[in-house]
Amino acid sequence: MTGKTIVITSGKGGVGKTTTTANIGAGLAMRGHSVVVIDTDIGLRNLDVIMGLENRIVYDLVNVIEGKCRIRQAMIQDKQGLELYLIPAAQTRDKDSIEPAQLRELCAELEQDYDYVLIDCPAGIERGFKNATAAAQEAIIVTTPEVASIRDADRVVGLLEASELHRPRLIINRISADMVRRGDMMSQKDVESLLAIEVIGLVPADERTISAANRGVPVVHDGRSTAGAAFHRIAARIDGEEVPMVDIAPRPGMFNKLRDMVSMKGRAYSHA
Amino acid sequence: MRDLLRWLFGLSEKNIQTSSEIARQRLRLVLIQDRVELAPDMMQQMKQEILEVVSRYMVVEEDFVEFEVRRLEDLVMLVSNIEVKDVSVLMAAPAQ
Repeated sequence: MTGKTIVITSGKGGVGKTTTTANIGAGLAMRGHSVVVIDTDIGLRNLDVIMGLENRIVYDLVNVIEGKCRIRQAMIQDKQGLELYLIPAAQTRDKDSIEPAQLRELCAELEQDYDYVLIDCPAGIERGFKNATAAAQEAIIVTTPEVASIRDADRVVGLLEASELHRPRLIINRISADMVRRGDMMSQKDVESLLAIEVIGLVPADERTISAANRGVPVVHDGRSTAGAAFHRIAARIDGEEVPMVDIAPRPGMFNKLRDMVSMKGRAYSHA
Repeated sequence: MRDLLRWLFGLSEKNIQTSSEIARQRLRLVLIQDRVELAPDMMQQMKQEILEVVSRYMVVEEDFVEFEVRRLEDLVMLVSNIEVKDVSVLMAAPAQ
């Protein structure tokens, strides 16, 4: 078997990389694939809590790389019993504890036995980013429809290109349909045309994502969540399935148009 | 009539621009600037090539050449200053 290693990155912190990694990982596993997710945010690990596995950690990524344990010993299986495993980051070390080549070697080994290896990249573009991107064959960039995160995403596109990771794909996270309709948030089209890279998914802002994180169960397990459904579609696209994009903020009907016109009056003041 | 409606609703041109339009416009310019700054090799090459072309027509002071990408309100401009030392090449050229 030859698996594929994909890095999930963003540049800016707090845009949802870890949540995205956990959900794509679970989504792919729910499609019957074997998946390993690696937290490379050494010193600031979080993928363990998002997946609800924080109490089961014995060994971590640095232990594996330093040869203190076998890979298998550091892999924690997902709570729902999927073929999904987490290799947690070390909490008491720093990003310099591993070399890009070492992570590449580890992923190459995992690719022999698993369909997908997903790397949760730390924020920033320093050592941690270099470690994470060196190990991957493909990259997914997560952004929110905000100026700061789009600007950082554009910078990351350039850096990935320089490190031979061509054609990264984009996830636009936390789109609020209401705000897009009111004209207070850039639409998926706006973001797409600014960054000029292929969009692989649009994830609506959904309170259920937060309650899922509270419980430590990725939101793809919540059948009523719109974000969960979006992550399922993304997993399917990564898997090579043709899934049409769902317009998160479709053109409003007559009633909504009227409502928006009324609320527009209020907005006029804010730019006066 | 349209002006009257505008006045009634308190919407001048400027007020109509939504915050997402402002964001998109600002980002467009920021990304141009970032991309230029992050490709110094390309800029150097372009500068070299432009100088080559100019030198075909004028003698320029190679030590006084400035290329700068400058932000002007809602435009990004490539601004260049090149000191011209001699234009006798132009005189020597046969009229077309």
